[in-house]
Amino acid sequence: MADETGRFGVLALRFGAPSRRRFIQLGAGAAAGLSLSGSAFAQVERPTNPPDKPRGQVIAALSQEPTVFHPLMPGIEVDQGIWWQVFSPLWFIDPDGKFIPDLAREVPTVENGGLSADGLTWKIKLRSDVKWHDGTPFTADDVKFSLELINNPDFRARSRVGHSLVKDIKVVAPDEIHWRMEAPYSPYMSILGSLTFIVPKHILEKVSDPNSSPFHNAPVGTGPFRWGERVPGDHILLNAHAGYHGKGPYLERVVFKYIPDLTVLYTQFRTGQVDYTGLQGVLPNFVQEAKTLKGRKIFVSATSSVEHIAPNLEFGPFADRAVREALYLAINKQAIVDALYYGLPTQTESFVPQQAWSFQQGLPQHKYDPAKANALLDAAGWVRGSGGVREKGGVKLEFTNSTTSGNAVREQTQQLLIQDWRAIGAAMRVNNMPAAVIWGDFWQQSKFNSVLVSVNFMLGSDPDVTPRFGSGAIPAKGGRGYNTYQYRSPEADRLLAEGARQFDLAQRKATYGDLQKLIRNDLAILPLFQGFIAEGVKEGLQGFRPNINTSINCWNIREWYWT
Amino acid sequence: MTTAALSTVQLAPGQAAWRRFRRHRLALAGAVIILVLVLGSALGPYLLPFDDTYIDILKRFAPPLSGAHILGTDELGRDVMARLMMGGRVSLSIGIVAMVIAMAVGIVVGAFAGFYGGVVGAVLMRLVDAVLCFPTIFLLLALAALTEPGLITTTVLIAATAWMGVARVVEAQVRSLREREFAVAALAFGSSNLRIMFRELVPNAIAPIVVAATLNVAKAILLESYVSYLGYGIQPPAASWGNMLNNAQIYLTSAPWLAIAPGVAITLAVTSFNFLGDGLRDALDPRMNIP
Amino acid sequence: MARYVINRLGQAIMLLVIVSAIGFAILHLAPGGPLSQYAASAQMTQEDLDRVTKQLGLDRPLPIQYLDWFGRMVRGDWGRSYRDGEAVLSVIGSHLGATLELMATATIIAALLGCWIGILGALRRYSLFDSLATVGAMIALSIPTFWFGLVMIYVFSVKLGWLPAGNRETVGDGSLLDLLHHLIAPALVLALVETAMWGRFMRSSMLEVINQDYIRTARAKGMPEWRILTLHALRNALLPMITVAGLQFPTVLGGALVAETVFTWPGMGRLFLDSIGYRDYPVVMGILMFSATMVLIGSLLADILYAVVDPRIRVG
Repeated sequence: MADETGRFGVLALRFGAPSRRRFIQLGAGAAAGLSLSGSAFAQVERPTNPPDKPRGQVIAALSQEPTVFHPLMPGIEVDQGIWWQVFSPLWFIDPDGKFIPDLAREVPTVENGGLSADGLTWKIKLRSDVKWHDGTPFTADDVKFSLELINNPDFRARSRVGHSLVKDIKVVAPDEIHWRMEAPYSPYMSILGSLTFIVPKHILEKVSDPNSSPFHNAPVGTGPFRWGERVPGDHILLNAHAGYHGKGPYLERVVFKYIPDLTVLYTQFRTGQVDYTGLQGVLPNFVQEAKTLKGRKIFVSATSSVEHIAPNLEFGPFADRAVREALYLAINKQAIVDALYYGLPTQTESFVPQQAWSFQQGLPQHKYDPAKANALLDAAGWVRGSGGVREKGGVKLEFTNSTTSGNAVREQTQQLLIQDWRAIGAAMRVNNMPAAVIWGDFWQQSKFNSVLVSVNFMLGSDPDVTPRFGSGAIPAKGGRGYNTYQYRSPEADRLLAEGARQFDLAQRKATYGDLQKLIRNDLAILPLFQGFIAEGVKEGLQGFRPNINTSINCWNIREWYWT
Repeated sequence: MTTAALSTVQLAPGQAAWRRFRRHRLALAGAVIILVLVLGSALGPYLLPFDDTYIDILKRFAPPLSGAHILGTDELGRDVMARLMMGGRVSLSIGIVAMVIAMAVGIVVGAFAGFYGGVVGAVLMRLVDAVLCFPTIFLLLALAALTEPGLITTTVLIAATAWMGVARVVEAQVRSLREREFAVAALAFGSSNLRIMFRELVPNAIAPIVVAATLNVAKAILLESYVSYLGYGIQPPAASWGNMLNNAQIYLTSAPWLAIAPGVAITLAVTSFNFLGDGLRDALDPRMNIP
Repeated sequence: MARYVINRLGQAIMLLVIVSAIGFAILHLAPGGPLSQYAASAQMTQEDLDRVTKQLGLDRPLPIQYLDWFGRMVRGDWGRSYRDGEAVLSVIGSHLGATLELMATATIIAALLGCWIGILGALRRYSLFDSLATVGAMIALSIPTFWFGLVMIYVFSVKLGWLPAGNRETVGDGSLLDLLHHLIAPALVLALVETAMWGRFMRSSMLEVINQDYIRTARAKGMPEWRILTLHALRNALLPMITVAGLQFPTVLGGALVAETVFTWPGMGRLFLDSIGYRDYPVVMGILMFSATMVLIGSLLADILYAVVDPRIRVG
């Protein structure tokens, strides 16, 4: 947690801890997502029985305002918080990493005939008892319409990745739909599963402009909650949908309240005006106190992002691996984690979350060792010059570090880094910027020296990081990816290509394990710790289940209830 | 009557003003406090055994008067007193320099607009209106986005958002005074326009100018904290009162001294400038009687 | 007079055009753009981003974009928010009420209290009241709003539990009493600084006036003190306050912005800040034009009023 957050909305964009598009192997549905089960994060409370009919309301606080209610348009995490309540996907990934059918009757696999062996033909059987909030029955036509809408050139679709391969959509029966894929594309399973919510044809086929219509601000879905009202800048109210096809809902109303200032958000949770603190959760410095509050519970859960220092490998001193290693050795990671983050996160050496099947155990452990760092730099020919700053061949060991301004704990981390690195003759200067500036060209086009950032590297739950570390994915060099580090390694490219061709889980694990070792050894990034979020829930509110496979932990409010 | 008043000032302006100023106890107190703050910020850091940026993570959040740290330590274990002094250098210079720039621009624009009226006046005052049309935050954000953050940029940015008020007040005063007898008289004596403007008319607006100026120092010091708040301005690890106060926000309940120290410093400084301004106005404005 | 007003209106419209052009240029030239928020999240590929950029028309040359926007604006189409797709005017409309409620309350409190304190302070100069008011005003002016707001919340909401910790209303309640209950803290925080401002200006304006020759003359002629005060002093002292009131508008908006953040108040200030943060160009431009218009009207009215009440100023 503690992603790019400021106390003013201006700074409060939650960049960098982004989508969790799922990527699975065909026919290997069980290994779809990351598993949180058995971890310390699962809710320990023994659930009592939910009420017979919806009762009570929950006020869920968010530090950003949800504003996009059409689930196929560009939106951020908090928007997804609304989509999960109002709409339904064909299937979703639960906290254990399993695909669970929602609008579909079953998740298509090769075994059940839903997928052809070559992955080109998809046959989806749908539930026939689902109704839209306005009473119209949900049919295969709605699915067809949704997929076609995404590919409509006039529609501002969020993403066409995967969808653009879908051809020959055939509605076989009101509860069955078939299509053909232009090429086999296994991630499509998870794209459909976790981010493609189905929209109503009978309403949207009538609008003149697919990008703006009354639907956009009063959406109609098949989800557990109906649209109630929206007071812009303040809250969104949803009411229970009595005819929901799944479990629940057990609450009469859900109110999503926008509270931009995280201190205020926590205060309102403390005074009881808020029942649940969603994104960005509770600031680390309040967690200890929050745990002692009567009638409040705090859940700290891992997210799939990794907090790290992103070096620009084309920038002077960073091109030298010895410099990167020396800098890494000189970081007092323990102090950052224990003091600044109150011991909440777990240190990591990899870009893969520790809950993932592809996580490589036993990577070299970071050790805080300034003496060794100094020796390394001496050996590499970096000599101390004026003011104690090292230089080599006219290049000074000085650089800037940037992060989203207003993020207090990140700024503290930066200042700790300045001191740690000064001890080894490296001079760092802080150059922070608001979110809209730093994550624009500055980041995309690699105009930075180094950035302190939290990134979810996974392509869904798949460790295919070609867009992150592939040499062809450098935007500053015309590549189409997010390799803003400008990392180039023939060995990494080879492993990436190999991993994408492999279909055996064990083989892939080995390949991506090697890749993790390589990236750790090259120090393409200086990893600090795995992302986390601390969320507060009022006592008596049951059903909160953090899900590392979704972007927002309030995905299942349908199962929440008051005891 | 007016001529008599003017001549009184011309006889012994310095002495009379000083006598009046001395009688204003709050102003004297203000001046002393400012002097203390300035000297403390300038010399204090040399007297302290702590570096303002030295981090000692094991000693974070030490309360005031614990050990050698008079004002305690902050969220990174740095000495708050040392940071307060270094921050004072930054905040005070920003406040004063920004005010001076804003006043200079405001007075010149206001005086010209009020004196010449007509097209010049209209153009200048519409310029003032145009800048006033932009909310302060927009100006700050927009201008800041185009420049590199730093001490000088922050100062200029703040000045850029503060000169319009003075221009308006001066313009209104000059406009209403220029028709009056002593300006006409001065014109008749053959004084130049510039001389009339800045020697005869502007001094008559000294009271509102001084009030506005003192309020502007206050505003500038506060604006500095908002600039920090918005992500531009003084970058860490350098301290300013604004960014100290800002960083202290999330520790308001657990480590209140972090907010109190810069808060008191800001309040003291701003209040003192206001009192000083008050005293100056009384001293400089010969038409006012001290009872 | 009519000619003067028409003249000024013409100038105001010219001014709006200039403001819009400058604002548009600064906004679009500032680094970052409306898609930065999606770009960093890797949810959309570069291809998707390019496509949406094109669909929004952001790939066209800036002057073309400006003329397009301007042409539509003149015809009453202020565009749609990039964030929620609503028409800009309705976005502004839905946030305006909350801000007006807060601003009007604070300004009324501040103007009444400030003028009263200022006048009394000037008349009983250097009295205990004056000293206390002066010191109080100075302190009020030097407390950062966000800090004061947080302290208010901590004391009155967390510790004492008397007031809600922010929000405009309890969702589902919204009765007058509930609204007022929520209004107290933010209005007081906003009014604090405003009162100090009004008080300071009023006091100095009043002092200025009561030392004027015509007041002395009136006194010398033996006119009763209350008549001097109400007939001459107050009337003339209130005159500069018109300008103060006109100047106050943008500062109130700025103050509201901070108070709205701390107290979770769904008003224009928050909207503006968020829209700048997300680079929601149409909304930012909309608010800019709206507030510019307000400021211009305020300044025009102030000038006309000034001209009406001060016979020394001739217009035309």
